[in-house]
Amino acid sequence: MNATSTTIAPVLDFLAHTLTTAETAFNKLPGSAVIQRYVKSSHQNDPGRTILELILFIFAIRTLLQSRTRAEKNFIKFSDKEIDELVDEWTPEPLGQSLTPQEQADLAAVPIITGPNGPKPKLVSTGKTAINLASFNFTGLSGHEEIKERAVETLRKYGLGSCGPPGFYGTLDVHMELERDIADFLGTEAAILYSQGFSTISSVIPAFCKRGDIIVADRGVNFSIQKGIQISRSTVRWFDHNDLKSLEEVLESVEKERKKRRGPLTRRFIVTEGIFEKDGAMVDLPKLIDIKFKHKYRLILDESISFGTVGRTGRGLTELYNVPASKVDMLVGSVANALNSCGGFCAGSQIVVNHQRINGLSFVFSASMPALLSVAGSEGINILRNTPSILASLQENIQAARAILDRVDCITIPSHPASPIIHLYVKNSKSSLHPSTATTIVPSNKPSNPTSILPKDAASWDWDVQAEEKILQDVVDEALAQGVLITKAKRLRGQEMVDPRPSIRLALTSALTKKETEKAIGVVKNALVKVLSKRR
Amino acid sequence: MALAKPASISFLKKRKSQTLSSPMPSAASYLSALSQADARARNHNNAGRSPTSTPALSLSSSITSSSEDTVLNEDDTIFDNSDGLALPARPPTSEQVFTTVHTEFGHCADQRYRLVSEHPSGTELPSHVDYDPPYYILLSTYVSYLILICLGHVRDFVGKRLNPSSYTHLIPKNGYAPLNSDFDSFYTRRLKTRLDECFSQPVTGVAGRTIVLLDRISPDYNHTQIFTGNRTRALNISSYNYLGFAQARGGCADAVEDSIRRYGISTCGTRLTGGSSDLHTISEALVANFVGMEDALISSMGFATNSTFIPALVGKGCLVISDELNHASIRFGVRLSGAHVRMFKHNDMKSLESLLREVISQGQPKHHRPWKKILVIVEGLYSMEGTLVNLPAVIELKKKYKFYLFVDEAHSIGALGPHGRGVADYFGINPRNIDMLMGTFTKSFGAAGGYIAGNKDLIDRLRVHGHSGAYAEAMTPAVLTQVVASMASIMGVAVPSMNPSSSTSTLRLTSATNSAPNNTACAIEEEYSHPGAAPPSSLPQWLTLPPALSSGIEGSNRLRRLAFNARYLHNGLNKLGFITYGHPASPIVPLLLFNPGKMNMFHRMMKDRQTPIVVVVVAYPATPLVTSRVRFCVSAAHTKEDVDTVLRACDEIGDVLDLKHGIKPSERWSVEQICERAVEVAEM
Repeated sequence: MNATSTTIAPVLDFLAHTLTTAETAFNKLPGSAVIQRYVKSSHQNDPGRTILELILFIFAIRTLLQSRTRAEKNFIKFSDKEIDELVDEWTPEPLGQSLTPQEQADLAAVPIITGPNGPKPKLVSTGKTAINLASFNFTGLSGHEEIKERAVETLRKYGLGSCGPPGFYGTLDVHMELERDIADFLGTEAAILYSQGFSTISSVIPAFCKRGDIIVADRGVNFSIQKGIQISRSTVRWFDHNDLKSLEEVLESVEKERKKRRGPLTRRFIVTEGIFEKDGAMVDLPKLIDIKFKHKYRLILDESISFGTVGRTGRGLTELYNVPASKVDMLVGSVANALNSCGGFCAGSQIVVNHQRINGLSFVFSASMPALLSVAGSEGINILRNTPSILASLQENIQAARAILDRVDCITIPSHPASPIIHLYVKNSKSSLHPSTATTIVPSNKPSNPTSILPKDAASWDWDVQAEEKILQDVVDEALAQGVLITKAKRLRGQEMVDPRPSIRLALTSALTKKETEKAIGVVKNALVKVLSKRR
Repeated sequence: MALAKPASISFLKKRKSQTLSSPMPSAASYLSALSQADARARNHNNAGRSPTSTPALSLSSSITSSSEDTVLNEDDTIFDNSDGLALPARPPTSEQVFTTVHTEFGHCADQRYRLVSEHPSGTELPSHVDYDPPYYILLSTYVSYLILICLGHVRDFVGKRLNPSSYTHLIPKNGYAPLNSDFDSFYTRRLKTRLDECFSQPVTGVAGRTIVLLDRISPDYNHTQIFTGNRTRALNISSYNYLGFAQARGGCADAVEDSIRRYGISTCGTRLTGGSSDLHTISEALVANFVGMEDALISSMGFATNSTFIPALVGKGCLVISDELNHASIRFGVRLSGAHVRMFKHNDMKSLESLLREVISQGQPKHHRPWKKILVIVEGLYSMEGTLVNLPAVIELKKKYKFYLFVDEAHSIGALGPHGRGVADYFGINPRNIDMLMGTFTKSFGAAGGYIAGNKDLIDRLRVHGHSGAYAEAMTPAVLTQVVASMASIMGVAVPSMNPSSSTSTLRLTSATNSAPNNTACAIEEEYSHPGAAPPSSLPQWLTLPPALSSGIEGSNRLRRLAFNARYLHNGLNKLGFITYGHPASPIVPLLLFNPGKMNMFHRMMKDRQTPIVVVVVAYPATPLVTSRVRFCVSAAHTKEDVDTVLRACDEIGDVLDLKHGIKPSERWSVEQICERAVEVAEM
């Protein structure tokens, strides 16, 4: 007994000692007195409360430590063996389905050009030259000797790639020059350069539009805009394609909705195109600007097709309608299409541009454009600025083409008379194309549902996509046999928000003379008539 | 060839004695001393060029074929060699002939400084040893951020009341909501602005071994930047120029010039609507051959390669399993695709496996139907961490769990592997084990854009269903030519075989070319056989590369130089006591700084040295909050002496900024020791 007490004594001493040291250490901590007082008083008042608080404390720690992913309601617990069995059983679908015969044929029919592209390129498939109404060479700058010379000079000074994103030593002086050239040309405060035209607007939109913001967009916007809207996660309302009256209605209904919900003021954007890639329609810019100011929306305008192709010197819609470009908040355009280089830009105020330098995804996370392409863009602007005859002859060619095409019976043309791209639809002939469609749908006067991208008359669309694609491809083949290269408008069927109607897309160029254009369009007309009349 | 007097040596010595003799008590005094010295040097140079240098002669000796119009002659202040950049530290001997401009691609003839980038077969990828910094560093880092955030909020609060005019873009005005919300832009306004000096520095000329900065100053704490009109040449350890193909001279640039004259600037339009050129077909076949896949597709932008092709591979009902550190373009693409996404811990195979077991057994959320397919997306080499994917382990898992594998080789293609074929080559794995190989041309090939490679059916599908084919502009001929020329010089071009009939149309590689006699370094013949040299028919007929390139000697030299430089810098920094991340073979070497304030200092101190060095510093949100870092990207263009320069600079600055928290002081080596025993260090 004595022995046990002697062994316990030092342990007790030690315990007492540690307790006192712990207590002094605790007392030394700043704020310890407060805790002590709190615990004491709460315990004196109600001992049960101490236990309750202790339980709460433990519970809080447990919740904090618990992993959050497993907390799903639907989680089913399996044993390891069961999981192994499930893994063995699981057979995935193939990563990609093979192409259908139709798609394969389409892919095989894609024209490949040997040597330089231009108004009369040589094709790999035929080995012959053809008049080119397919490629985007609106201003005829492809193969321009001066640009080539400048590009070679640049190559010898800068090499090719910039080897870095703009943030990390990828910003070259020539990029800043092109940005300044674009801003000066359009008359905006600043501009920012992206290295691919297609990826420009799909980055511009999510840079500004966040969750909770409102986008009011045209139903006919191009694929890149659709993707930008999708990524932005904003609330989207759609207005009828190129119908500004419908736009106003939608804007009013949005405002009404906001007032009803008493929601906060969020950023609001109108997103549309200058000349629509989908069908060549042109927006009435002055009216659009009026509406935008009236309803206090910001305007994101995609001028990828119209920049460099309309207006006296190719400044685009703003020049055509004589509207200052500074009234468009974000003016997006392409350096690839009319300037025959590569890349895209967004012009606007200094704040708009600087914002994108940090928030434009494909600007920040992608290497900047090769120096020589940037210089080619600058040189292109220079040429447009000094040679208004380029735009004059482009417009003359467009008029000449339309004069012929407008008189062809078997097609309809949705494009604006000044649009450098001309879309050709097969004219509706209800009986022959799509026997299944009934004629029961009566167009109502009710406006389309703004939350859906499908317009109200979508139910009455009676074109047979497959059949029309096939017929149009026959037209393309026929035209090529006669020495004119044209193309269908290629679509990503199944991935587009609305399946666009199949069309042939002609791209006119100033590099051809009026006579050559007329001749080529004549060939297209004959091909159309020949193929489409056979169908009847 | 006649050679110049070794003028640079005296400079080197001078610099060495300068930097070693003066112990610096504090960072601030160090900085001011540096800038004073710098100013003195500049005044001196402007007044009259340093008499000891004989630049014209030595320059022409180092370029065999070029005339006088190099970038070097552009600006007098750049031309002198006081920064030690214009002339090689070690003057070439009379036997050595260099075809590159030293400022673009450094002259380094010493065969000791070469290594092969290869994973030792039969071993596991070592998991990275993380050195944790001392607690006071972590604590002070958190405190710095806390102070910054508090100060920012106080300034916002006061500023909005006293100086509302500078906050107009943040508050609703005339019925417009602010473009930039107050909260969202807080980090940019209050934290990043302080670091803006380190970002978006405009440059000019070639982003090669050196780069020319357009000097700028900010009079108002980085709100505006003003160009002074001066230029500074700096050692470039920041650009993704892994194989040093960013060159304005040499075989590749000549080929590009030729192609511009032949093809013009653009192919006018999208691939499917009249913008396809024979050059596209040729390049795609060559790329497929290079990466060892059946077919490949080229896109005109690297970011867009991921963001436009991933949505064509997966969609609703599919699952994408993505490494948590995957690049923004991958996330963008996955988000567009509408597929379900799960993430696993960075490069953690256990985490990946347990996630796979969970998702396959659970099936889709809510209704528990099985997933249509599972696509695992990893990167070959992670651009912020420098880590390599554990490819052998992923392939093992792939066999068991039947997922599809997508490897983003944006950084690893060209930069890794004994033949430069990327991460599969590095591990000696047949690339056909991987379903989709994606990569970019921006980095190793000095071009732009990207590719995606896989089996023919799949690639054809992407041609039609990928967004790029129908809507995005095609890649331009100049860029395509750079890709073809640089790729062919890495592969080497096989000597034409006896039957000349197959020289025109067939682009597919036949197995016969494997036995090409001039093959550079084709030795491994295990389960993975490397495709070998490029058949001559896979190049455009008009393209002729100089013998050094077409033989593949130059290419293999570049690969081995890069491998050496990467390992040397990585191990050297470790031996100095720094904390680095990533795999030693990776040309990306992140050095941990932790404190946000040190980023600015490090950047400035590197730039203000006698031999200015430009570095990339990265912080939150690109990295976790505490692990701010500086990221070096070594290149084959760097000489061993360049890496020495970087090591010396880091050594000095590391002492001043208290950055050495890696291995124990007793295990560290002095910087002199490291430079002397470079080969040993690299092979560690």
